[in-house]
Parts: sequence; structure tokens; C-alpha cells
Amino acid sequence: MVASGTAIRLAALSRHNTSLMLREPGPVLSRLVMPLVMILLFRPLYLSALARHGVQAGTVQVVTGMLVMFSLLALSVVGTAILTERTWGTWDRLRATPVRSGELLATKALPGFGMLAVQQAEVLLFGVVAFGLHVGDPLLLAAAVVSWALALLGIGTALGATLRSQSELNMAYDIGGVVLSALGGALIPLSVLPGWARAAAPLSPGYWAMSALRSALQGQAGPTLRAAAVLLAVAAVTAALGTWRITRGWSRSRSL
Amino acid sequence: MLSGARDGGQVTGLAAEGLVKRYGRSVALDGFALSVSPGEIAGLVGHNGAGKTTFVEIVSALTRPDAGRVSVAGVDVLAQPRQARARLGVCPQETSLYPRLTVAEHLRLFGALAGLRRAALRRAVTGIAEQLCLTEVLDRPAGLLSGGQRKRTQAATALVAERPVLLLDEPTAGADPQTRRALLSVVADRAAAGAAVVYTTHYLPELAELGATLAVARAGRIISRGGQRSLLAGLPGEVRVGFAGPVPAGLRALGQVDGTAGDQLRVVTSDAPATLARLLAAGAAPVSIDIRRPGLDDLYAALTP
Repeated sequence: MVASGTAIRLAALSRHNTSLMLREPGPVLSRLVMPLVMILLFRPLYLSALARHGVQAGTVQVVTGMLVMFSLLALSVVGTAILTERTWGTWDRLRATPVRSGELLATKALPGFGMLAVQQAEVLLFGVVAFGLHVGDPLLLAAAVVSWALALLGIGTALGATLRSQSELNMAYDIGGVVLSALGGALIPLSVLPGWARAAAPLSPGYWAMSALRSALQGQAGPTLRAAAVLLAVAAVTAALGTWRITRGWSRSRSL
Repeated sequence: MLSGARDGGQVTGLAAEGLVKRYGRSVALDGFALSVSPGEIAGLVGHNGAGKTTFVEIVSALTRPDAGRVSVAGVDVLAQPRQARARLGVCPQETSLYPRLTVAEHLRLFGALAGLRRAALRRAVTGIAEQLCLTEVLDRPAGLLSGGQRKRTQAATALVAERPVLLLDEPTAGADPQTRRALLSVVADRAAAGAAVVYTTHYLPELAELGATLAVARAGRIISRGGQRSLLAGLPGEVRVGFAGPVPAGLRALGQVDGTAGDQLRVVTSDAPATLARLLAAGAAPVSIDIRRPGLDDLYAALTP
């Protein structure tokens, strides 16, 4: 009976959160289409810049780079999903039902995770089909994609739970997305970044995502798993921060 | 054991005792205590900031008190918040709906979260939509509803599943007469079916219409609690006597002269018949007599200066 009640609630919340995302398809669609367009436009540039390393190097750089940059920008979908619940006052309405906090968070995160996974799979598949991107080890690549999606989910949850308004959130995504992408070597190969930027690169989750994806494409298990572990640690810390903030709630009387 | 309403030794309805809640230096609740029996509608009234909404948040397990205890249908809210919420229908003060979701989707969501499914869920959605005059707008997104429809939809999400305890925080604030009538009717029905209802409002005639008992909150505690009749019994009413001309000089000391031509005498009294008899005995020859009994507004004004 209890399990049945939980199943009903989980199904209802999953449907509900998927509906909410699909009713506002614009941000999701743009995050799915834009990386493909940018890959098409920028590939010749990267091929030329990395010509001495071969065609594959340029393709890997443009595919993984655009993937990381646009998945960082797709954080806005995850964070906005939480922030809008707060601003609409609906989060506390859901908390006042028999639903567990964990159920609320998991079902809220599920469509975001799906969107991030689909976005990455789509970009990689596009690279393989359109430009012959070589995948060294599909399982390692899946591990890299999942760990990066979880890290993004954690960061998005933490931002959506702690920032106070959509404008703050937009600023964080715009500045954070571009800075972390650039610092991580997603826009320009790390080798041509200034020394101080190369030294600071490991501070960006984008660096570890690039590292995990690139290593997985080359079939290198050790570097892939090491980078994936860092991404999972980022996911754990940021998700814990977001969860802590969310479970405290934003009841009106807290502002007294 | 909480000193709430008991049924065969079991605490039922709602029982809150000694609730304290501070936010920094601000004290929202200061020993708040309230018990509501099954079938009872308790009108919770008080100025803004009296602690009503904090109380609702604590009972809903959205906020933990610094001290005190509260139970919902016999379940300790602090020890078993989820089980307590399963016995509670909450309609918060501020309208909180998903603009892109339809009325039906809202009702189905909150019905399912309350554990309803399939035929039972469909019946519940249809039933509450009919009761709150929402049938015509079931497929309309909340963002396109009128203010009254939004209010009714919000209330319907709290009432779609039958619960032993209902917390309705100013459900009719700013609502049109149709919304008000529909909501009061459903609330009265739920209480008649055995629900314990806490109904906060600033619109006191609603409480008279519902036959609610009263709980007056002030500075984070309940300062007066009881049935309307008993609470009103101690309050003075008013006898207003009109004369053909100015109030006779011999009567002026008995009350306050009023009216544009000084032709009315207003006497505040707890015993209207005795006051009237005294006036007539003093030689008054009135052309009109108006006796006004004390109302909830007078009680509220007397308790919350």
C-alpha cells in the first residue's frame, strides 16, 4: 500500500515535471539546435588551427568543445525549473503534500537529466555521422556523458535553489557558462590559452568534462574515470548544497 | 499526550500546544495553542502579523517551531511530518498555480499526490470542479483564469481529496461573491462530514455564516477562544433612539447625542431592554428605536485594539 502510494506520487510528479518542461520548449530546443549549428560553422576553423595534429583532433575539439559549452548554457533549463517553482509559490504547495523531499527533487531533476543526456548524445552522434568522429570506447563515453550530466544537474540545482531571481540566474548562466567553457578549453584549445588560464583551468568543471570526453573518445580508461570521478564529486557537493537549501524551503514567514 | 479533541482516548482533529517560533529577534508565535474538533470550523482571526500564517506553515510541516507540539488527526506533525500531511488539506494565502497547466491538470496532480488514482481521482476532480463552479474551465490554463477562478482552483487543489483536517488561509481574500458562496458551501459540507477546519480570514461575516467558533490571535498567541455566542455575550450592544426634534435635555446624560439635527440618542449597553425601559421611564417619546446586537466586528475590535 505504501509502495503503491509512492509509485502513484512518483508517476504523477514525473508526468507533471515533464509537462512543465514541454510546455516551454523554446529553451530546450535552442540548446539542442545551437550546438549543431556552431559545430558546422566552426569546424573549418578548428581543423585549420589543429591541422598539424590531424583531422580527427579538430573534429574532437569542435564536437567536445561545443558540447561542453552548450551543456553549460543548458544549465539554465535546470535552474529555471526550480526557480520558477519558488517564484510561483508552488514548491511549498508540493512540500505541503505527503511527498518526500527526495521524491520532489528526483522527479524535478529527471526531465533535466534527460534533456542534458539527449543533448550530449545528439551532439556526439552528429559528430560521428556527419564528420566521422571516432569513438574509442562507447562505455567510457557513456560514463563521461552521465558524470557530466550529473555535475550539471547538481550545479543547476544549487544555482536554482540559492539565487533569488531570474535575472541573477541569467547573469550566472551567461557569465558562468562562457567563463567556465573558455577556462575549460571548450572554446579554444588549452594549449593556446595563456599560462595563468592553463593553471586555473582545473578549477572549471568544463575542464574535467573536456578531459573525460576526450579521453573516452580516445579509449583511455584511466584519465576518463579520473575526470568522471571529479565530475561526480562536483555533482555530489553542489547537489547537497541545493538539497539543503531546498529542504529548508522559502516559506513566507521566513522573511519576518 | 496533547490536550486536543479526544475521541475514545485518541486525539483527533487538530491540536497545537505552546508553539513558539522566532525569526532572529522577531517572535512570530509565542505560546500559540489551538485545538479544533472534528466537524468544527474554527475561525482564526487577527491582525496581519498576529502569527496566523506561521501557524499554518508549522501545521503543514513547512516550518519547525522552536518549541511546542502539534498533531493532525492524532499524528504528531514534528515526529511524522509526512504522515501528518497525508491527513491535511492546505490552501495557502497566496495563490500559487502553474500558469501553463490547466485546471484539470492541477486537480489531477494534487489528487494523485494525495493518493487518489483512476476512477477515484476522476470522481474527485469532477466533484470538486462542480462544487466550486470550475467545470466550464477545467481545460483552461491557470494563467488565463479570472481572479475568482484562480481562487477557486487554488481551493480546489486543497479540497480535491477528502481530509480529516483542513487549513484554509484566507481562501476568499479578494474573491467575488460567487467564489465566496461556493467556497463557504464546500467548507460547510466538509465540516458536516467530520473535517476539522481552521479558516483564517479578515472577513468576519463569513465566520458568522459558517457558524464557526472563534480563535482570536494577537502577538503570536490565541487571546480568546470559544463559540460566537459565548464570546459575544459579554460585549455591549447599542440602543439608538430617534426623536421628532432635538433630544430632550433630561435624557442627554443617558447617552451620546447623535444625528444631523441632534435628534438621536445613542446608548451603549449590555442590556438593551433595561436601557430602553429606563429611557421610557424618564419620559422619552421616541419616533424610532433601533437595537443593535454586538457582532464579530465589535468582538474583534474589542480584542485587537
